[in-house]
Amino acid sequence: MLPLAIIRDIDDYSKIINEILKYNITFNILKFTTGSSGVNLLLDVPEDKIKMITDALTQNKVVVNKKGRVIVDDDKCIDCGACLSLCPTDALYFDESLRLKFSYEKCIGCLICLDSCPRRAIEEM
Amino acid sequence: MPKSYSEINQKIKNGDVVVVTAEEMIKIVEDQGEQVAAEEIDVVTTGTFGPMCSSGAFLNFGHSDPPIKLEHVWLNEVHAYHGNAAVDCYIGVTRMADIKPFDYGGGNVIEDLVSRKSIRLRGTSYTTDCYPLEEIDTYFTIDDLNQAILCNPRNAYQKYVCAVNSTDKTIYTYMGKLLPNLGNAHYAGAGCLNPLCNDPDYETIGIGTRIFLGGGIGYVMGEGTQHDPKNGFGTLFLKGDLKQMKPEYLRGVNFEKYGPSMSVGVGIPIPILNENLARKTAIKDEDIETEVIDYGIPRRNRPVLRKVNYKELKSGKIDIDGKEVKVSSLSSLFYARKIANELKTWIEDGIFFLNPPAENLPTNTTYNPMKQVSELKFVKDLKKPAVTCFDDCDIKVVAEKIIEENTNHIVIIDKDRYLIGIVTSFDVTKAIARDKSHIKDIITKKVIIAKDNEPAEVAARRMKMNDISALPIINDEKQVIGIITSEELM
Repeated sequence: MLPLAIIRDIDDYSKIINEILKYNITFNILKFTTGSSGVNLLLDVPEDKIKMITDALTQNKVVVNKKGRVIVDDDKCIDCGACLSLCPTDALYFDESLRLKFSYEKCIGCLICLDSCPRRAIEEM
Repeated sequence: MPKSYSEINQKIKNGDVVVVTAEEMIKIVEDQGEQVAAEEIDVVTTGTFGPMCSSGAFLNFGHSDPPIKLEHVWLNEVHAYHGNAAVDCYIGVTRMADIKPFDYGGGNVIEDLVSRKSIRLRGTSYTTDCYPLEEIDTYFTIDDLNQAILCNPRNAYQKYVCAVNSTDKTIYTYMGKLLPNLGNAHYAGAGCLNPLCNDPDYETIGIGTRIFLGGGIGYVMGEGTQHDPKNGFGTLFLKGDLKQMKPEYLRGVNFEKYGPSMSVGVGIPIPILNENLARKTAIKDEDIETEVIDYGIPRRNRPVLRKVNYKELKSGKIDIDGKEVKVSSLSSLFYARKIANELKTWIEDGIFFLNPPAENLPTNTTYNPMKQVSELKFVKDLKKPAVTCFDDCDIKVVAEKIIEENTNHIVIIDKDRYLIGIVTSFDVTKAIARDKSHIKDIITKKVIIAKDNEPAEVAARRMKMNDISALPIINDEKQVIGIITSEELM
């Protein structure tokens, strides 16, 4: 699970990092982007620490969002593999009969696959 | 004992023909040997389903009243080629729609046609005495057309290359999205199921060969364009009646920042006339070798990083210089198998017969590059000395240099000529207006650069894509050795 925090300025950023560091948790920053809504951070945190971190961030008035994953439209998909090699967690994979499958649990919402589908079958949730 | 086409066709009529797919043939030959396989197996079916850009369809609309001689034709806002008679046209799959250019194209029009959807036809004419109508705007479905003929100048590549990207930026190609630093790899083709891989000497596939095309029946018209038999990259020119075809096997695709194409389903039966053909149709993925090519280098001869076979490609991971790289296909192996199986069923059900080619495909032609009469210019041919400043100098010094050297770009370097950033005359103007005095306040540190040996056109496109007018040129040690600006490129 991934909280997506929308951060407004650099002070917020250090506040959040400090807050998380308090709990002595190792985490990865998967994505750091800036946009009209401020700074966006995509953090990969351990499953059992999600609630703790979400609470800490919410107290700091940071918007925490668990969205950002994708869905695959099976009607549009032609089971090629244009998305497959891009997925860092094998959330997009072939089953035994070589049909494309998507694992919601494995998806980390990096969205690298989003613009790789020649059938536009992958959409952000 | 050799078999003939008519013997095989008689078996199809009798309902006792033995058909297997190219994948199934591997085990049969392995277990029973070529001789037994040649006696027992009559036909091996193949299949492939992937993007094939050199595809399209000829359509005939019938005449309007009053008649029109179409000069320009749009089908669902996709410009079709019109250089034939009054109401014929050719819709090519890679043509982008005038609206939504990267999301809809000729391939989608063909998919919509075979899906029996209504298509908008818009046309204009310069008018003649015999064709007085100036404009037409109407709707039709495939059933309203006199003819709809899929006509693909280059399909069913014998095999294709595997693409990677060694640069530090994501690139978008006809081989899909390629992540930087060899982040992933894409290949195409169905390996041991590929039609031409199962008849590598073109003994049975030739002009007139009846095939599975887009879910209907099609024919080989001859060698495809860029047919390269000596290097094992044979291609086929295919045609078929679009009206019989199914949308499942003709799918419009749109590659991000590249454009439209169409995934085409092709299946070809190989008659097992002799032992040699039994052996050839038992080809395995590991026997089909291709190359890993660096698409990060935008040249005709892109660097070959290694040889690779289809078994490795289908495994999902390949090793490049000690790095494990995820690899996947742009072709659908699921559909390739489905096509080989569907063709097998057609033959078993006695609705599809085999025929000898009217003529064989050439085996000795070569695939040559384009003849260009103007000499290729490189960045080094157009570069000029860069006007430079150190990063600790005053903005006033920079401004003076701009006037003195009559330039708009000052490259900021350190004492060893390593690139630090770039400052433009506009940056200096801005600094003065906003009362800033340090270079550090106005410098652009993320500098887009060029290299000596890049074609000038590649550098020009980089400027255009980034909306800038100059690129500092650096050597392999990342020291500044010059600058190229849009003025030199004009």
